[in-house]
Amino acid sequence: MAALIGRRLMQLPVIVLVVYTLTFCLAWLIPGNPLENPEGRRPLPEIEEAMKKQYNLDDPVTFYFDYLAKATGVAWVAGDSTQPFDLGPSLLHPDWTVNEILADGLPVSITLGFTSILLACVLGIGAGIVGGLKPNTAWDFFSQVLTLIGISLPSFVIGAVLLILFAAKLGWFPVGGWGGIQYLVLPALTLSLPFAAYIARLTRFGMIEQMKSDHARTARAKGLTRMQVATRHALKNSFLPVLSYLGPAAAMAMTGSFVVEAVFAVPGIGRHFVDAVLGKDLTLIMGVVLVYSTMLIIFNLVVDVLYHWIDPRIQMN
Amino acid sequence: MRIAVPFVFILTLLVAAMYLDRPRPRADLVIAMTGDVFTLDPQRMSYMQDLRMARAVYEGLVCTDLEGRIIPGVAKSWEVTEDGLEWTFHLREDARWSNGDPVTADDFVYSWRRAMLPDTASDYSSFFFHVRGAKDFFDWRSEALAEFASGGGGKEQAMDLLERTDTKFDELVGLDAVDPHTLKVQLRNPLPYFLDIVAFGALCPVHRETVEGYVSIDPMTGRIQQEHGWTKPGLLVSNGPYALDDWRYKRNMRLKANPHYWNDDSTRSRTIEVRSIEDPNTAVLAFETGAVDWLPSVNAEYRADMLEQRKQYLATHEQRLEELLRDGHGIDHAIAQLPKPIGFQRRNIIAIPTFGTDFYGFNCRPMLNDGNVNPFADPAVRRAFSMSIDKPRLAEFVTRMNEPSAGSLVPPDSIDGYSPPTGLPYDPERARAELANAGWIDRDGDGALENTDGTPFPVVDLLYSTGAPRYKDLSLAMKDMWEKALGVQVQMRGKDTKFYKEDLKQGEFMIGRGGWYGDYRDPTTFLELCHTDDGNNDRKYSCEEFDGLLAQAAAELDPARRMQILQDAERILVERDLPILPLMHFVVVYMYEPDRITGLSHEMQLNQYLSRIHRSGP
Repeated sequence: MAALIGRRLMQLPVIVLVVYTLTFCLAWLIPGNPLENPEGRRPLPEIEEAMKKQYNLDDPVTFYFDYLAKATGVAWVAGDSTQPFDLGPSLLHPDWTVNEILADGLPVSITLGFTSILLACVLGIGAGIVGGLKPNTAWDFFSQVLTLIGISLPSFVIGAVLLILFAAKLGWFPVGGWGGIQYLVLPALTLSLPFAAYIARLTRFGMIEQMKSDHARTARAKGLTRMQVATRHALKNSFLPVLSYLGPAAAMAMTGSFVVEAVFAVPGIGRHFVDAVLGKDLTLIMGVVLVYSTMLIIFNLVVDVLYHWIDPRIQMN
Repeated sequence: MRIAVPFVFILTLLVAAMYLDRPRPRADLVIAMTGDVFTLDPQRMSYMQDLRMARAVYEGLVCTDLEGRIIPGVAKSWEVTEDGLEWTFHLREDARWSNGDPVTADDFVYSWRRAMLPDTASDYSSFFFHVRGAKDFFDWRSEALAEFASGGGGKEQAMDLLERTDTKFDELVGLDAVDPHTLKVQLRNPLPYFLDIVAFGALCPVHRETVEGYVSIDPMTGRIQQEHGWTKPGLLVSNGPYALDDWRYKRNMRLKANPHYWNDDSTRSRTIEVRSIEDPNTAVLAFETGAVDWLPSVNAEYRADMLEQRKQYLATHEQRLEELLRDGHGIDHAIAQLPKPIGFQRRNIIAIPTFGTDFYGFNCRPMLNDGNVNPFADPAVRRAFSMSIDKPRLAEFVTRMNEPSAGSLVPPDSIDGYSPPTGLPYDPERARAELANAGWIDRDGDGALENTDGTPFPVVDLLYSTGAPRYKDLSLAMKDMWEKALGVQVQMRGKDTKFYKEDLKQGEFMIGRGGWYGDYRDPTTFLELCHTDDGNNDRKYSCEEFDGLLAQAAAELDPARRMQILQDAERILVERDLPILPLMHFVVVYMYEPDRITGLSHEMQLNQYLSRIHRSGP
């Protein structure tokens, strides 16, 4: 186990470097100058040249290595930088460093992502059990339709509907923003629906399979009620595919939430990242990519370890 | 049971995270913005929302009132010599920074000098070049830096260069703190609109001691490097009505009244929150629920319908409204007296004409980037294309905002003493004749135009940006008008903002979407866009006569004469050469309840001072 974790951690820098390099090439190809406004007045050419020099925007190779050295702490060890993990100033928003932006936005995205996954588990497993225990009944049909809606409706539609209904009309929740549990409910619900739908399908399928299996039939024959078989035996086994889905789902919930973040005015990293790409804010793009890829690799490792810990039969490799 | 452990762990974490991020009490005034403020460093500002914040947090020498007239700010009075070249500002003694320090003439010298240094990278450094010697100083420093960098650098040499820069500034630039409360400014040439420039946000002062704590000299390049930590809450020292209470990236900014501000008694809203809401629909919903008091730019696609609802409301109460307006009430105050809207009527939205013009520009380079001859290098072709556009139709059916049609670049009635030329009419007949005069006639009867040597008129490359649907819609309608009126073929090319801007700069277009907002109340703020050497002249239009007239106006002392010259110059642009096809003057759409919000200016430049805006009622 320890050897395996060690090996995975050794791979980490290699993977991150590949991601960094690929992203850098793509981001560099975006035309235009991040220091120039999308509308309105241009800076004087002398200023533009000098600024490009200051941020190494005139030389991709220097930018690539300089940024990497500062971001990974190599420059700090060598004494060229005052900060161990310096992701640089944002090019579009000069008052902010990428470190500050991430420190403010990352907890928001993580909170939103985790909450929506928890919610997805509750909703999805609930709907899945209902459908799986009574397949092909009205209940099942109902939960199937709900999951279909959850999977097929894009989140900006669901988000807008929830906003109009629960925030604007009923006034139960605030319209957008962040700062307290009441701000979390609607975006987390919106973000959770596609995941919940998928989990419901996995659970329903697992339940149907498990309830038909030999050991379930044996348990029934021994006198357990249907409910007891379902909760004590079938559910446990049908949950395993859900568990393996949770790893990538959590990662997706945290990185792919920019639509929900935009609709609900949630100040998370997803939105900042999209804005950064649109504005060619190179330092912010690279900073987010570095932090996210590192985070995701570690995150996947944690899920694998957990997986093994919960069910020791599963081999780590 | 083990499976529950990670879930419980995560749940605890979430509860803790949310507990730490509790909301704060509602501010006296809540505003929603699409993005965030880019910077709170006034010398680096260039966006409207940044400049609005500059007027809240800082105070310049002069300000503008609700009608856009100049009123005293930090300067309580000023005078100018007869030749218009030397201005003396007398600063009030009680002006204070938010830490209690007095605001002095030195602060202004220091701040303006920052903007004149190429190191600061101010988008508006050209504004400061009106000061005598400032441009020479900027050029000298740019050159010295280039020389320094090629010379290999060095720490001592860098310090030496900095010292020489100080000496050079004193020697060249006509900016003097005569005493702590007297500032003398010498200009390059007389500038009738100089006070307008002084009122501009980028000329607000910064607190020298605070800023200098974040300055370092790069030994390699000799440049003054500026870190921006000083604009953060708790660190920012400002001299305006508000101090920065809190600022979180793309989340919100909170301002609180600055007790050291000399005019603190007149600060109406004691706390202000500026929220960042990107989604236009969410912003409207937030306003409708009362969470937001003022939306300074409504971008929801149904805004045209909401404006229609306002029209219906006003039509219902037309008579009473007219009476109230006749009695001298302002429009908001008058509307507030009317009965509340019922049904689908609405009065909390308003479209305000601005000091900006939406236009499409013609590529005026003789050759296109692909090596072919550019038909739009010929002014007759540009005139023909201009006269085939039915502008009121675009405003009514395409943008649906009923913007005032534009014949000129400068909006009419926006500048005292200046009436812009009327421009070319909508006249497809004449347009075809112009094109024929230019040699473009259907010679072989195939329905396409050819010139004298039989070359067909190229497919017109129409470039627009895809950031908002507006320009796609406009381009589609204009393509149709051109094809119908002139028998040409038009190919639309929509590109994302960065790509579009780059194409525009490289001349990779025949007709390209443009647009410009004026910065100060003078025609030159628009006309300079067409000067041969202007950095924003993407069309590369160049006309000696026009440049000459601008130079002549700059030297003219008689205001009426000067305006006449500028009018002649603009006539060349909009009636003869048409490098730019003005479409309409922009409107900005605000949402606020007219019976609850006071202190908003409707003046065209929309220079709002947040300290005057007040929300009444619960």
